[in-house]
Amino acid sequence: MRIALAHGKTQTLQHLRSPGYLLPTLALPGLFYFLFEGQDSEVGLVTHLMASYAMWAILGVAFFQFGVGIAEERTTAWERFLRILPVSAGQRLAGRVLSAAVFAAAAAAVVIVEAHLVNPVSVAADRWLPWTLALLAGGVVVALGGIAMGYWASRRAATALAMLAWLLLAYLGGLWALPAELPSWTEEVSPYLPTRLWGEVTWAAVQGRSTSLGDWLGLLAWAVGFAVLALWGYRRDEGTNYR
Amino acid sequence: MTNDARGPQAVAELRGVHKRYGRVEALRGVDLQLHPGELVALLGPNGAGKTTAVGVLLGQRRPDTGSARLFGRDPTRPAARRSVGVTPQEVGFPDNLTVAEVVDLVRVHYPDPAATAALLGRFGLAEVAGRRAGGLSGGQQRRLAVALAFAGQPQAVVMDEPTSGLDVEARRRLWEVVRSFVADGGAVLLTTHYLEEAQALASRVVVIAGGAIIAHGSVEEIVARVGLSRVHLQAPWLPDLPAVTRVEANNGSYTLYTADPDELVRALSLQGVAFTGLQVERASLEEAFVRLTGGAA
Repeated sequence: MRIALAHGKTQTLQHLRSPGYLLPTLALPGLFYFLFEGQDSEVGLVTHLMASYAMWAILGVAFFQFGVGIAEERTTAWERFLRILPVSAGQRLAGRVLSAAVFAAAAAAVVIVEAHLVNPVSVAADRWLPWTLALLAGGVVVALGGIAMGYWASRRAATALAMLAWLLLAYLGGLWALPAELPSWTEEVSPYLPTRLWGEVTWAAVQGRSTSLGDWLGLLAWAVGFAVLALWGYRRDEGTNYR
Repeated sequence: MTNDARGPQAVAELRGVHKRYGRVEALRGVDLQLHPGELVALLGPNGAGKTTAVGVLLGQRRPDTGSARLFGRDPTRPAARRSVGVTPQEVGFPDNLTVAEVVDLVRVHYPDPAATAALLGRFGLAEVAGRRAGGLSGGQQRRLAVALAFAGQPQAVVMDEPTSGLDVEARRRLWEVVRSFVADGGAVLLTTHYLEEAQALASRVVVIAGGAIIAHGSVEEIVARVGLSRVHLQAPWLPDLPAVTRVEANNGSYTLYTADPDELVRALSLQGVAFTGLQVERASLEEAFVRLTGGAA
């Protein structure tokens, strides 16, 4: 545990010193919420969008901390050195997850606090826990996606890929506007995207509606798919560098 | 071929290790043992298999056949690596961590680590403790990599070409540290291109070429085994001579490499060669090494 914590602390320090990481994760979601949604008085809308932008913020942490982070590190001499230390892959992953959890909480908190400051958002007292759990569940799914990206994307492609996936999944998943406002052509794909499925369960949790089993099963399918890709990529990477 | 020098209590051991990458046979049945209080120098030309052997020993690569053991345990298990310090051949540090932060992260992995300040002081890095590790000069990064091998107060240290890129002063200082570590009972496995380094430090030398160990013994034994001497002389001409491995000629000045200098000098006299300025020297390890590996170095 001490070792996992030390790796988590080191990761956190490194990310705090990387403007290229802090901008998309901590700054952009809050900025976009303000620029595009601005101030509004319709409680349902601004609350819905607060939940959406909080998801987008967590998605950024997943893709940039895991996706870009792993892709950039895994070919370095430093990474090879760390693998020689008496530390297991599980301890290192635990450290990475701890650090990502801190940043994800901070990134979501930026959006949530800002929304409360500028808009009449309202989340019922008994909805905070279901909402948090929904954010956490989807966060795990997209983190697995980020890990898969980290092991499959090349060092050079990772940042561009993460940025593109982050923006496209937000737009197509209906995190930037109400899903009903999306252009009609997106209806073919939107309902199947992990961001949309995550959105459906999260919006339902915030508003006190019951979530649909189909959405949960969809998220589970993405989780399994991402996990398989991540594990496959990890094994492939080990084979390339450490066979 | 075995080079088991001293019985069973090896801290690190390779037994019959074969390792193939695609069509390339990187290791072809390598046996290696490292005992407390000795420094084994692993010598060989580029591509000989040194780094692969070290990788297998440290659990970073799995042997196709054969086995690797660290303190009697499987080195792919992290716990087996707890008493080993490592300086990898390729060194690089993140530019968003300070030297002290890097040392502190590494220290966490060991039960009884060295104090950060003392460790940095020992390797002349005290004044850069607060600097970003990735921004250090090449020589400083190399020193940091060596310091990290000692961070856990290990019983054994594995160094893959630790002094390449170090200036003479830094190299001598590293040698001092390594000598006192070995004198205190530590075990060191060192791969190096600096044969002077093996001569200065090694208790045993293992020569590897083409993925196989082709010679092993003390530095003296390795040299004696090939029995190579270097004979300098000036002469107007030279006849065909017995037992000469190689001749270097330069304007009537000759350097002859021979396994039997006595026989050579007798032959020179018998054939009436009017030589002057005769000097006979024992060949250096480097020359022995060139001969052992068929000149591939």
